[in-house]
Amino acid sequence: MNKAALYITAASTVSHQPTFGNPGFSSTLGPIVADNALISPDYKAYIDPGLLRRMSKILRMAVACSKDCIAQAEIEQPDAIVVGTGLGCLHDTEKFLNTSLTVDGLLPPTSFIQSTHNTMAGQISLSIGNHGYNMTHTQNTLSFEHALLDASMLLREGDRHVLVGAADEHIDILEDIAAQLSFEAPARLTSGASFFVLSKENRGNAAAILTDVHTTGGIENAEAEIDAFLIRNGLNASDVDLVFHAGEPVQGVKGNVPYLPLSGVYATASAFALHYAVDSLQTNASLKNVLICNALRKSNLGLILLQSVEA
Amino acid sequence: MDSLKEDLKKQIIEQLNLEDLTVADIADDALLFNDQGLGLDSIDALELIVLLEKYHGIQLTNPEEGKEAFRSIDTMAEYIRKRKAA
Amino acid sequence: MGVCITGIGVVSAIGMSVEENLSALREGKSGIGPLQYLQGTKASLAGEVKASNEDLRKSLNVGTEYVSRTSLLGLQAAREAWGDNKRSGVIRTGIISATSVGGMDRSEVFYKDYLSQNSPDYQVLTTHDSGSTTERIAAELGISGYINTLSTACSSGANAIMLGARLILQGTLDRVLVGGSDALSRFTIDGFRSLMIYDEQWCRPFDESRAGLNLGEGAGFLLLEGEKSLQLTGNRPICNVSGWANAADAYHQTASSPDGKGATLAIENAIRRAGIGLNEVSYVNAHGTGTKNNDHSESVALRNVFGDHIPPFSSTKAFTGHTLAAAGAIEAVFSVLAIQHHLIYPNLNYQDSIAETGLVPATLLETGAEVNAVLSNSFGFGGNNSSLVFTRYE
Repeated sequence: MNKAALYITAASTVSHQPTFGNPGFSSTLGPIVADNALISPDYKAYIDPGLLRRMSKILRMAVACSKDCIAQAEIEQPDAIVVGTGLGCLHDTEKFLNTSLTVDGLLPPTSFIQSTHNTMAGQISLSIGNHGYNMTHTQNTLSFEHALLDASMLLREGDRHVLVGAADEHIDILEDIAAQLSFEAPARLTSGASFFVLSKENRGNAAAILTDVHTTGGIENAEAEIDAFLIRNGLNASDVDLVFHAGEPVQGVKGNVPYLPLSGVYATASAFALHYAVDSLQTNASLKNVLICNALRKSNLGLILLQSVEA
Repeated sequence: MDSLKEDLKKQIIEQLNLEDLTVADIADDALLFNDQGLGLDSIDALELIVLLEKYHGIQLTNPEEGKEAFRSIDTMAEYIRKRKAA
Repeated sequence: MGVCITGIGVVSAIGMSVEENLSALREGKSGIGPLQYLQGTKASLAGEVKASNEDLRKSLNVGTEYVSRTSLLGLQAAREAWGDNKRSGVIRTGIISATSVGGMDRSEVFYKDYLSQNSPDYQVLTTHDSGSTTERIAAELGISGYINTLSTACSSGANAIMLGARLILQGTLDRVLVGGSDALSRFTIDGFRSLMIYDEQWCRPFDESRAGLNLGEGAGFLLLEGEKSLQLTGNRPICNVSGWANAADAYHQTASSPDGKGATLAIENAIRRAGIGLNEVSYVNAHGTGTKNNDHSESVALRNVFGDHIPPFSSTKAFTGHTLAAAGAIEAVFSVLAIQHHLIYPNLNYQDSIAETGLVPATLLETGAEVNAVLSNSFGFGGNNSSLVFTRYE
């Protein structure tokens, strides 16, 4: 299938690293350590105080990144807003759950309203007054890849610019749950949000070309799946300059970098990896084909293939 | 100084997460749901109903009924006094 | 040929199968009543599926106890829609489910034990996340590959159908099982009570005296096939899904705009996508939750689009309760049945029209109606508005 190229024309990430408003960050980041707290921008610069006062961490991150992206891409409005989240608005979910189980009288509704997974996408549309397609994908570790695939489809259906991103937030109980379920995290559990503008055309501002994105659930043979993905894009493993991976490294490529030590672990950390890869393509001219291989959860495989714009 | 009104202001700031406001910023007659006043919305109206029950033991089950009572700090204080006297 | 529907499945308060749902719809029999299975809630009425988790596990032959009711209900409907279809190495098959709260029905039991330190079973939390409810359904049906979950509150089910149709048209998939599932939970019941839009009496969609919704639970699934798949399976299309649209209201976090902006956009764009005229819409299965705000805003949107020629419309929420993410999928199945059996469903509990809009829904079952195209609306929190159009297969 010969698909038209799609361009990443903006990227913005809030994480435990100095990623926000810091182009070129990929050449300076080291692994995150225990005392790296979430680095929050001045949210008041991005979000209306009337909305901000109610917002939990995940909402603040998502809306700030979105607004930053729209400014970077120099567009008035995206045609659509597509968001991925593995666990949704955990803070408000736990807060309302707690209230519901412990309070006898009337219950304050705000945390319930903001507990739904689509609160982020809804708040973004509300913040910028957008009436376009508004979608939220939640498929575990593949939530972001599904959102990205949806965004790609929208551009092929005629949209010009789609705002697409992902976010997940850490709450304390996750540590307890991870320990009890013997989940051996490859890095510490963190929060993060990464948003992008995916565009049909390059108006001279494209940071990378999104060549392809693919998701597989219930996977049996990851290697065969990766090979087939590269082949459908006319590539061999040896054509891939760099792989950012969660899970096993990819055989036969020129280089592998595990991304979880940089982002920390959350369900949509592959969105961090995408921004990291886009930033790397911009700062390192020797890179041409870059793959993000997400097997954070072994039974699920997410693949995102990027190409440098000059290529 | 009317302590009921002071309490109400404190409670509203807390219940509605009005982080940037202090008691001194809220005038007794400021319109709570007007953009020139506090700019509250329908979700806040529900939170105010919870506040009335939680701090003042007053039950208001019809959100419509709150509209008049929640016009300003003045009307809220008046509503609470009336309900308590009844 | 477009995107064809070749299988349907549904479970709701009015029945465990398509056949049971259809006969309750024909008889005007609501499934809303006092709760029998979900304990400890303050709701006096809800549309509960008349089966315990244990009943469902047994009849579905699910061995593990670590499965949410959301997954069980989803599996019940998905199996019926899937029917005797076989896995195939040639037909690229996917599944998209929709849920608003995933495995919350089990997580809230865990959390209660967790708060009181009453030996909480952490293993239960493996069924919490919304994606896992779909992965469970996929595993039971033997579907791998494209497995996805959408969560856009009350419009989720409709969005799953829309996404499935788009994936087929783009050639990403040949066949896809689409639908939605949500189980009743204390969390959602308390949530809607906190918003003061949970009616303690029967919900009364589009009635002047409406005072809120009754929640329900259930699942709906539809098997969508494109041309290639149909050639290989030889399945007979029941009807087409030919129009879809999603639009953001961008008005308020929970309330719909008084001018019905998002809803109007969704309805108009879905009909345009279907390529039919406004006068060709035979029936509208409305979102009609019974809240003051939704029914008013939806009425305004219908008026915006259809002017004085609004087709017969009704909400089936008074039969099933509002099943949240499942609603769009359950009502899609009802829409397909309306075309298949020439039916227009009655809007139960209706007496007087809403003063500002004056719209009168269909209140009696109509049989033998010429139903060739059905518009189905699903509107959710965050101003998420979706409309679908189903048309007779020619």
